[in-house]
Amino acid sequence: MLLLFAPLAQLAAAEGPLYQGVRVTVVPDTVLVGDRIRCVIAVQHGEREVASLEGLDPASRPRFELISLQRVSSMLSASGSGKERFELDLALFGSGRQLLPPFTVILRDSEGRMTRKVVYSAPISVFVKALTDSTMRELRPIKPQEKPSIPFFLIFPLIVTVFGTAVVVLGLLFLIKRAVRKSAEKVNPGQVAQRKLRKLRSKLTAGMPPPECYEELSNIMRSFLENHYRIRALEAVTQEIERDLKKLGVGGFESIMSLLKQADLVKFAGRRPDIEESRNSLQKAEEVIRSARPAEE
Amino acid sequence: MQYAVELEELGQQITEASRFLEKAEEQLSRRIIGQKEVIQRVFIALLVNGHILLEGVPGLAKTLIIRTFAAAMNLKFQRIQFTPDMLPADLIGTMIYNPKDMEFYPRKGPVFANVILADEINRSPAKVQSALLEAMQEHQVTIGNQTFPLQEPFMVLATQNPIEHEGTYLLPEAQVDRFMMKVLVDYPSYDEELEIMLQSATTASDREISAVVQPDDIAKARGLIDRIYVDPRVQRYIVDLVVATRNPARFGMESLEAMIEYGASPRASIFLLLASKAHAFLQKRPYITPEDVKAIAYDTLRHRIRPGYEAEADNIRSDDIIRQILQHVQVP
Repeated sequence: MLLLFAPLAQLAAAEGPLYQGVRVTVVPDTVLVGDRIRCVIAVQHGEREVASLEGLDPASRPRFELISLQRVSSMLSASGSGKERFELDLALFGSGRQLLPPFTVILRDSEGRMTRKVVYSAPISVFVKALTDSTMRELRPIKPQEKPSIPFFLIFPLIVTVFGTAVVVLGLLFLIKRAVRKSAEKVNPGQVAQRKLRKLRSKLTAGMPPPECYEELSNIMRSFLENHYRIRALEAVTQEIERDLKKLGVGGFESIMSLLKQADLVKFAGRRPDIEESRNSLQKAEEVIRSARPAEE
Repeated sequence: MQYAVELEELGQQITEASRFLEKAEEQLSRRIIGQKEVIQRVFIALLVNGHILLEGVPGLAKTLIIRTFAAAMNLKFQRIQFTPDMLPADLIGTMIYNPKDMEFYPRKGPVFANVILADEINRSPAKVQSALLEAMQEHQVTIGNQTFPLQEPFMVLATQNPIEHEGTYLLPEAQVDRFMMKVLVDYPSYDEELEIMLQSATTASDREISAVVQPDDIAKARGLIDRIYVDPRVQRYIVDLVVATRNPARFGMESLEAMIEYGASPRASIFLLLASKAHAFLQKRPYITPEDVKAIAYDTLRHRIRPGYEAEADNIRSDDIIRQILQHVQVP
C-alpha cells in the first residue's frame, strides 16, 4: 500500500479569510475499475470553528462515486485551534490516471453560521486499470475464478492420439479374436471324436466294462454332434437330437440314432452288452463319424 | 446283446396292461378333438394317483374332457361348481337331523365320487379349497364324528381361471403344491377348431361313450408302474432338475438366482418320478429315460416355482425358468 501525501492542499477557490490548511492521504494508488479508494482528509480550523465536508461535485460523478463520508475524529489544541479528520470511500470508474475530485470544506461558527466555504482540488491521482469496458457504470460483480482454457491447437493432437490408440486397440482385439476363432475352427470335431474312439477301444481291450464303454460312447457321439452340426446335444435327450438331425437332413441319420438308442438301453434299461457287441458299436461309430458331412446351412 | 430278463417280461406285461388306455383314448377321440397332451396328462394322473390343476380360458372343453374321460373309464363323475358363497359342507357333506327317530345322519357330499371336477376352484373361499385339498391328501372325509374313506381311484381335476380374472382367490402355495401337475389348456389348432365346429354345431345329442375299462385295470396298471426300472442316473437327473429350481447357481445358472423367489419342494421330485414312470408306461416302456422326465417337467414344476420380482418385471414366467433349467442341466 502506498501513501500519497499532499503537504498542503492547493487552494482552488476560497471564500472568506484563509485558514490553517488541509492534508489529504489516499490509499491505494492503483485500482481496478469499480474498486474503492479511501481518502483521509485532515482539516485544521480556527478557534470556535466547526469544519464539515460536502459531498462530491456532481461534475465528477461519471468517474467517482461517493460510497460513504464520515467524521472520524475532532480535537482541540491548547492554543484553541481545532483539527478534524474525515474519511471518504470512493468508487472509481473510467480508466487511466484519475485526478482526485475537488471537495468542499465548510467552516461554521459556534452559532452554526457559515464563516467559510473553501473548494479544494488535491493534486493526487489514482491509476485505474480498465479490464472491462470503460463505459461500465456498475460495481464489479464477484466473478468465479475462470479455469485456464487449453488452446485448441494443443487439444486437437491429444484427441487424435486418444482416438488413434482406441482404434489400434480395437483393431488388435478384433484380429486376436479372429485368430482364436480360426484356430478353434481348425480343430475338426470328427478328428477329435475319432481320437477319443480309438482311446476308448484300447480301454475296452484293457478290460473296461461294456456298460461304461457305452456311456462314454454316447458322450463322444453327443459332443461330436454338438460341435459338428452345431446342435444342442449334451443337454438334449435322444428324442430331441433325433428331431434336430431330421430337420438338418443329416446323412447316416439312422446309424447315429441306432447308436444313441443302444447306448440309452444300456444306460437306462440295465442292458448288459458283451465285449464283441461293444466293439461292433465302436466300429459303427467310427464309420458314422468318418462319413459325416457338414450340415447344410 | 443281453437284455435284463425281468425288464423284458415287464415290458410285455405293460404292453398288455396298457391296452385299456388305448380303448379309452379311442372313446375320448369320439367326442374330443385335439387336446391330446391334456388327455395324456389326465391318464398319467390317474395311473399314479395324482391330481391335476387345469388352467385355461373358458370354452376350451376342459369340462367335456373330464366328463368323457370318466365315462370311458367307467368311473363315477361329479362336477362341483365352486362359488364365493360355498361352504365346506356343500362339498364334503353334513349331518342331517331326522325328526322321526330324532337322530343325526350323515349326508355325503359330492366329493364322494371317483373323478371330481372342481370347476373354477379359485372362485371359492380358502376354507372350501382347503376342505377339498384335505380330501385329496387323506383320501378320506370326516362328517360329524364319522370318517368315511373316499372311493378308489379318487382323482380331482380342478380348473382355474387365470388369476388376472376378476372375482378369483389365489390358491395358497401349500395347496397348489398338492396337485401333481398344473396343465395349461391351450386353444386348438386351426384344423382342429374347424373339426370341432363341424362336429358340435348340430342339434343332435352328444355321441355315446362306452365304458371300456374294467374295475381292476387301473389297479393292475398301478402295480406295474411301481415296477418300472429307474436307473440311478435318471434318479439323479430328476433331483438335479428340482434342486436347480432352488439353487440354479449350482448348475451354472447364476442369472436365474434373482429370477426365482422360491423353487420346487421335495414333493416335486416325488411327483416328477411318479409322473415319469406313468409316462414311460404310456410309451409301453419298462424303464424311464430322461425323455420321460423332460416330457412332464413343465407340468410338474410350473406351479411349484414362484418367479421373483425381477422375473415379473421382465415378464419371465415359470415356464421360461423351467426351459432354461432343462437346457442347462446335463442329461445323463
